[in-house]
Amino acid sequence: MDRVLVIALRAHTADGLASAQLGRFVAVLGAIRPLQIDGAAGRIQLPHAFYAEAYAGVPVLAGLGTNRAWDWAAGARIARKLGDYGSLGIAMMEQRDAGRLATEEVGADAGFAFGKRDDLAARLAYDLANPAIADVEITARHAHDKALRFDLYAGYRAASHLLPATSLFTVLGDIPAERGGARATWKAAPRLEVSADAGVRRVDEDLAPALTARARLALDDTQRSALTCELRRDGASDDAWTGVRGAARLALPQALTASGELELVIPDRDRTAGGRYRGSVWPWGLAALGWDRGPWHAAIAVEAAASPETRKRIDALVSLGRTWSGP
Amino acid sequence: MKRAVVAFAVVALAACAGVLGLRRSGPQAFPHRAHVLANVSCTKCHLGLERDDGAALHVPDDASCITAGCHAKPHDARPCLACHAAPEALAQLAGARDHLAFDHARHLPRTKGNCMRCHTGVAEGDDHLRPAMATCFKCHDHDAERDARRCEACHKNLEAGLERPATHIAHDGDWLHEHGVRAASSADLCQTCHAEKFCAGCHGVTAAALPATLHFSDPFTPSVHRAGFAARHSLEAKADPGACQQCHQPDRCATCHLAKGIAGSGRLSPHPPGWVGITAAESQHGREARRDPAACASCHGGAGEALCVTCHEVGGVGGSPHPPGFSSRQRMTDLPCRMCHPIGGRLQGSR
Repeated sequence: MDRVLVIALRAHTADGLASAQLGRFVAVLGAIRPLQIDGAAGRIQLPHAFYAEAYAGVPVLAGLGTNRAWDWAAGARIARKLGDYGSLGIAMMEQRDAGRLATEEVGADAGFAFGKRDDLAARLAYDLANPAIADVEITARHAHDKALRFDLYAGYRAASHLLPATSLFTVLGDIPAERGGARATWKAAPRLEVSADAGVRRVDEDLAPALTARARLALDDTQRSALTCELRRDGASDDAWTGVRGAARLALPQALTASGELELVIPDRDRTAGGRYRGSVWPWGLAALGWDRGPWHAAIAVEAAASPETRKRIDALVSLGRTWSGP
Repeated sequence: MKRAVVAFAVVALAACAGVLGLRRSGPQAFPHRAHVLANVSCTKCHLGLERDDGAALHVPDDASCITAGCHAKPHDARPCLACHAAPEALAQLAGARDHLAFDHARHLPRTKGNCMRCHTGVAEGDDHLRPAMATCFKCHDHDAERDARRCEACHKNLEAGLERPATHIAHDGDWLHEHGVRAASSADLCQTCHAEKFCAGCHGVTAAALPATLHFSDPFTPSVHRAGFAARHSLEAKADPGACQQCHQPDRCATCHLAKGIAGSGRLSPHPPGWVGITAAESQHGREARRDPAACASCHGGAGEALCVTCHEVGGVGGSPHPPGFSSRQRMTDLPCRMCHPIGGRLQGSR
């Protein structure tokens, strides 16, 4: 049972205004982080465009067949739709580990569409156990036309507030990390899409750029064969790095697909803060052959890499899968 | 010089036009617009639409082109649609038939046989002839169904089809990083197409592997852990404190590091010299802990974090661990308060 991803029994009224599920699933409540639980959840549409949802259950713990006694989590959200243009919601959840307070959080979320071209989404999570803002995310989009789109994003995250409140680290205090930036995506030609992302990160006194440029070229109209190339500049302070990645996928006869991927990462410093040599370039590559026919999927690959931990490493990967679907 | 650059760009663009999709070298989309302008009615080629049962494709065959008297002498022995149809068009049509509950028979009388009332794209060109969902709403009022997310009256088995919508929530841009904030206000909208297992595949703690790991043969599978992530994960974690804990349990790092002998109880310590000093200026660990406490917690969480309070207690070498203005709603009997504060005792460390 501890390896089961989702197993849930769902029911809903004929008009779809109320629904409930029972079993193992990922509980999602607005700005509150998703939580995999064994329990029950329900949702009901109320008058005046309000709707309410709630869940309660036992959090799933990785690697444990049985949960501790008195582990539980419960949460609820109430939201209101604003015509066809948006929605507002507030949520609250509490989680107890072995009966002790682990997480108590409230969240607010909002989404708005201003016409067909512009929209805005935001969420905020506030830690009630150790009162402070835990997480804020805002994104805004402007679609200039079908081919060109611009995004703005900003975020604020206090890392300690993502830990269970029973951890000593939550009372040590922390330095929030902030980030913001803009992104443009342009479908330059029917088969060519390019995007550029320019952002800034701030952690403590360190200000670091986060830059990405990416291009993807389809080699046929069905986009089964394609090439992509990506350049990145990322990392903060002494751990900044520059990277380039290229990948190709080629459709072959007999439902076969050949693919290759190569990445080179060049860290600014070839030594750790402790002075340990970790290499000046970290290459990574993968060559694969896949086969997809109906519900069957198979693939083999060779992966090779050099990293701060290993001078060279070669792995062989094999995958065989079948998909079953029901009503 | 400018002219040379412009001339080079034009020549380069012309040379690459086929590759970029600006000029199609293979089969062309069927020239619907030309046929409409020639006053050929849709039902003359798409036979049987008036008796459409929602299953047949009604794609014209060669006989339709020839026996209608229009193309009595084909210029080629190959089937007409082998060249005069976009290669993906038939698959898209079949997909639409599989996942849409729709029949032309009931619509034709209402539009008085005018197909362009819905297929407005014919007036503009030969691609994208399937009407957008917004076209349906010009006549059909589905506000109640939309509010209740009851899509199955028109959309059959959306979860299996996974058709990306053309006009809303198009999943373009950097959707991988953006989907969380968008889903926060409309999780129920996501659920109209995505089954529970789709979320749990990444967000569930029982998830066996992330999509990029499972589908390693497809380099275009979106994932935050793509390519050589294992080599650069420590750099990414330091640049974005707390990012790992958005999905992973704090002990996720320790599990792997212990197995590789890189954690505190292994052969190698991840901490550099000078990690713990006598004065604050000499000691790196305090600043690093405040920047990313989640990184410390990945190894020192649970009982292991007790080592902090051997120094960080009032009167101890490290002094009070609480920052200025600290407050908490936890009880003294709860962890971690009781590690320093005797049960029932005074809150000595807070200010």
